[in-house]
Amino acid sequence: MMPIPRCGHPNLGLGVGLRTVHFPYLLQHQPEVDWFEVISENFMDSRGRPRDVLDQLAERYPIVMHGVSLSIGSTDPLNLDYLRKLKSLADAVQAKWVSDHVCWTGVASRNSHDLLPLPYHEQSLQHVVERIRIVQDVLQRQLVLENPSSYVTFTASTMSEAEFVARMAEEADCGLLLDVNNIYVSSINHDFDPFEYLDAIPAHRVVQFHLAGHTNLGTHLIDTHDSHVTDPVWELYRKAHLLTGGASTLLEWDAKIPPFPIVHAEVMKARDYMSSALGSYRSRPANDQLQANSTVPHPATAVFAEVE
Amino acid sequence: MADQPPQPLDVIQRWMQSVIVHPAGVAAGIDSASHTGEIEQGADRVDELICRSRAQTSIERLEVYSNAYKARLIEVLIGEYPAFVHALGEEAFVGLASGYLEVHPPASYTLGELGRFFADYLLETRPPNESEDGSPDWADFLIDLARLERCYSEVFDGPGIEELPPLDAERFRHLSPEQWITCRLVAAPCLRLAAYRFPVHEYASAVRHQQEPESPIAQVTRLAIHRREYVVRRTTIDAIQFGLLTRLVEGASIGQALEQLIEANSQAVVTADELSAWFRDWAAAGFFIGLAT
Ligand SMILES: [Fe+2]
Repeated sequence: MMPIPRCGHPNLGLGVGLRTVHFPYLLQHQPEVDWFEVISENFMDSRGRPRDVLDQLAERYPIVMHGVSLSIGSTDPLNLDYLRKLKSLADAVQAKWVSDHVCWTGVASRNSHDLLPLPYHEQSLQHVVERIRIVQDVLQRQLVLENPSSYVTFTASTMSEAEFVARMAEEADCGLLLDVNNIYVSSINHDFDPFEYLDAIPAHRVVQFHLAGHTNLGTHLIDTHDSHVTDPVWELYRKAHLLTGGASTLLEWDAKIPPFPIVHAEVMKARDYMSSALGSYRSRPANDQLQANSTVPHPATAVFAEVE
Repeated sequence: MADQPPQPLDVIQRWMQSVIVHPAGVAAGIDSASHTGEIEQGADRVDELICRSRAQTSIERLEVYSNAYKARLIEVLIGEYPAFVHALGEEAFVGLASGYLEVHPPASYTLGELGRFFADYLLETRPPNESEDGSPDWADFLIDLARLERCYSEVFDGPGIEELPPLDAERFRHLSPEQWITCRLVAAPCLRLAAYRFPVHEYASAVRHQQEPESPIAQVTRLAIHRREYVVRRTTIDAIQFGLLTRLVEGASIGQALEQLIEANSQAVVTADELSAWFRDWAAAGFFIGLAT
């Protein structure tokens, strides 16, 4: 049987990550945007403006929910209260799908609010697969998981991240959110070929792509989401598009966020990379300037009060 | 890649977390874990667990996470407490916030919980009041400012009245004296009554409007903090209004609240006209959402 592309999900087109600084612009201008992705944790408990804005946008645009605290790889028990809230938000805004990351965020009842990498071996694979099944049962929908950027690897790993992600998706029957920038960032940090990574991913399980900017610190790259997408990442996107036949594509911009039209224009560039001709980033000067400033990797999204 | 059986996942996770959140840094965290934990490797042998990269040692790589942990959480606290940060200065705030995070490390799935105990922490760790007459000092000002900013966060994202029909202020006019005395008011879920030792609301607003406010002089300040159209509002109220509102919010009938107020403060003179004007204003401001007669 031919596998169904995108696990049966629609290709929503080119979307933008919803950020609070853009709320007034979006409500006032109602721009033509294919879809929005929201950070689940910023809305699941909100009974104020963030939730009201989301409800208004959900009437007009398709919404996808993207979480940062599921902690699918943690050895702490799953937080059922969190999962129930996630489900009720997904139902309320008719989320097209719900995603999170292949990572753990904390253990011993703590949350580092970071996407911490797992060692990739049989034990961690079985652990994650089992937990995905439970989450999918509770949410009553297929989970979509994203490859994170990482800055360490473990000597205990017995397989590559791409192999882990591929086997995880097949065994747990979940979807994948392929963050093309994360693949690139990790490929530099861990010295692997990002194109080979793409080849190892089951293309039909890719439900969505992420694009974002990163910061080059010379010795390593950091996934800062604070600038334009770099050329090598666009070239990877070109190949990912070719392999999958296209999937919903979303731009994340989380720090030094420019006005909405600039963020939107950035994701619209993706159309230029949907042609079949493969470029070669190796022969091209990358727009990847060295940065010396201090940097905070994604995620750092919190919502702050508006006071009269 | 490994040929030995891996460390159990829970062991490596507890280890890595303890290392990246260690206040003295990664190397100290690794050594401290090697004395107490299930992993024996010290900082000199950490590459037995974490691979080095072409350009970075294993410790440098772990430091990416440890730096990010602290920087990210402090950034969130700076976002929640902008006026406090302005008053104290960013450098001193980073030190203070680091101490706070050691005592109250993040435990929730949401960053909205991160700053919940900040004012409590300040109260527990404050220097003694050095003013001769015991009048409120700088630490009192900072504590009150933190309490106010946390209150703003909770009111901003908590339950509100935007979806409810407004309480018609005219309803007060049509109550018989008997009904007036026995009726109870249903407070809006976003209404908070708080007393401060300084006009911290003015300071906080000035900072939020990019001004450079002077440190204020102590002055008892009572606020009704509430929310309308999803924006946090604050109204200064006097001692009598504060006492009355507090009792009403606690569930006293209007008659009981007035009685208690007069018992507590025989000086309190409020005319009937003043009272009905207050109730109309409070209803119009959305402090109350219902009348139970
Ligand atoms: Fe991403």
